Amino acid sequence: MTTYAMVIDTLSCIGCGDCVVACKNENKVPAGLNRDWVVEATRGEYPDLETEFRSERCNHCRHATCVTSCPTGASHHWKDTNIVLVTAAKCTGCKACIAACPYDARMLMRPEGYVDKCTFCHHRIDRGLDPACVASCPTHCMYFGILDNRDSIVSRLLRARRYKVLMPETGNQPQVYYLI
Amino acid sequence: MPESKPTLLRFVLQSLGHMFRGPPAYWVWVGFLFALILLGGWHYYLQLRDGLVVTHMTNQVSWGFYIANFTFLVGVAAAAVMLVVPAYIFHRRDIKDVVLMGDTMAIAAVTMAILFVVVDLGRPDRFWHLIPGIGRFNFPQSMLAWDVIVLNGYLLLNVGISFYIVYNHYQNKEPNERRYFPWVLLAIFWAISIHTVTAFLYSANSGRPFWNHALLAPRFIASAFASGPALMAIGLQIIRAISDYPIRQSVINHLALVATIALQVTLFFMLAELFTEFYNEGEHAASARYLYFGLDGHAALTPWIWTAIALLCIAVVILMIHPLRHNPIYMNIAFVLIIVGVWIEKGMGLIVPAFVPTPIGEIYEYTPSLIEVMVSIGIWALGFLLFTLLAKAALPVHCEYLRRQQAREQCNWDGFERRHNAD
Ligand code: SF4
Ligand code: SF4
Repeated sequence: MTTYAMVIDTLSCIGCGDCVVACKNENKVPAGLNRDWVVEATRGEYPDLETEFRSERCNHCRHATCVTSCPTGASHHWKDTNIVLVTAAKCTGCKACIAACPYDARMLMRPEGYVDKCTFCHHRIDRGLDPACVASCPTHCMYFGILDNRDSIVSRLLRARRYKVLMPETGNQPQVYYLI
Repeated sequence: MPESKPTLLRFVLQSLGHMFRGPPAYWVWVGFLFALILLGGWHYYLQLRDGLVVTHMTNQVSWGFYIANFTFLVGVAAAAVMLVVPAYIFHRRDIKDVVLMGDTMAIAAVTMAILFVVVDLGRPDRFWHLIPGIGRFNFPQSMLAWDVIVLNGYLLLNVGISFYIVYNHYQNKEPNERRYFPWVLLAIFWAISIHTVTAFLYSANSGRPFWNHALLAPRFIASAFASGPALMAIGLQIIRAISDYPIRQSVINHLALVATIALQVTLFFMLAELFTEFYNEGEHAASARYLYFGLDGHAALTPWIWTAIALLCIAVVILMIHPLRHNPIYMNIAFVLIIVGVWIEKGMGLIVPAFVPTPIGEIYEYTPSLIEVMVSIGIWALGFLLFTLLAKAALPVHCEYLRRQQAREQCNWDGFERRHNAD
């Protein structure tokens, strides 16, 4: 399985939300729904507190519980990568995947009745481009690449810096890394 | 009974005939259910037209009232084994005479359960993707795929067994035990499996700590064996009151005993869970806190769950005091309390809190919309109608058979009772 990963530097994120806007434009996400979002959290212990901005989205888990729980195979891994996509025409809207996703990354396209989510902009990857959110970030705090490749920017960053993933205890092996 | 040869066609025609004959009260009841079904159907049409947006389910709380009812009904369906096991494994004659009603109730309950899943789908027209063979069915990975198989299998098993027995009775033959017993045995295990699989559907979600624990499936089965027999006992008493179907009090007492024990176990499991969640309260207890005490000022479910606990506690006290349990009025009060209590606890109280707060810590509360309530009422009415029609068709055949059997055995109900008491 080829592993695509996103690395996000929480130390240089300013929480501007450009990634959210870029995604909405690129993927024509309807009003009221979001495929990515920015979380404003507090880090550290009193009195040494700081604000942490995290741009969050589907973690394109290597062990994706949304894929295992989907009864029809509408949720699937794209071309033997960790990228998780939903085939709209096969999705019954049963919402088993929404319950199964530990990261709240899925949404029901209503009234169309199927589930939608971040695709890591696989249509852009095919053309050799970065995902829209990564390309639009004004502070260059997001990086995208193949983790199996030791020289990729993401591999080098993860070797050089301290990082975390969200809720590693779920066993999903999430592939969005946060530099801290 | 027709003098002509009892063929399958005649059997079907005669059953239909029974369904369409009845006193005015029967027609009022059927008409009433029909009206509710039409009302539910109209609201389902609205949901089909406008999409799930007409429900109050959101991306955060994505399962609601429908799945709550589904969960409760799977329990009722599974509880038919509480008649099947004593009837076929322990050969209790009194229970064997009514086991058919247990199967009929299972058929109605499992049909309702399947319908509740269908109305919960955003795109029910794509349901065929879930049919093995036609769609690419994600089996054995997906728990929902398992659920589709076990629920439909259970429905088929119960329809098959009931049909075989009633048809044999119609032909005035003793059903061949060698032929149906293996299927009965299968149905017993299957009943446990529908419940276990449904519990696994929830407990498999590692991101939802409220569900993600090993006690969920045992707790499911315990509360199912409390609510199912309670509902069944009420149904049997109603049938006894309005027909000449001989239902012994010993059957009702048996169901009351089962419900008592299962309710005790349910309450014990609940206590164990409360202790584990709250003794050293961690982050994972947030959903439980929301349910039982409210979280950050949000407490929509708190009054409901405490009502349910109070009802179940009153019921267990009534059932544990023997003179009360053997008093028909108190016993039936306890049954109603159990049904309502478990319906809350295992329905909304189990499904909704798992989504509150969301994994990223937001709180979205959920109450069903009018459309959800109306559609649900329609499905319940459909289940009651199904049960009424099936029972109406099967009862005369079965009563006739029992009468002939007695004549053959040269015994009457008194002799029957003497023998049963001697056991
Ligand atoms: S984050 Fe959720 S939707 Fe994305 S792959 Fe993981 S489980 Fe699936
Ligand atoms: S909602 Fe769609 S993608 Fe999600 S589990 Fe059901 S069928 Fe699969």
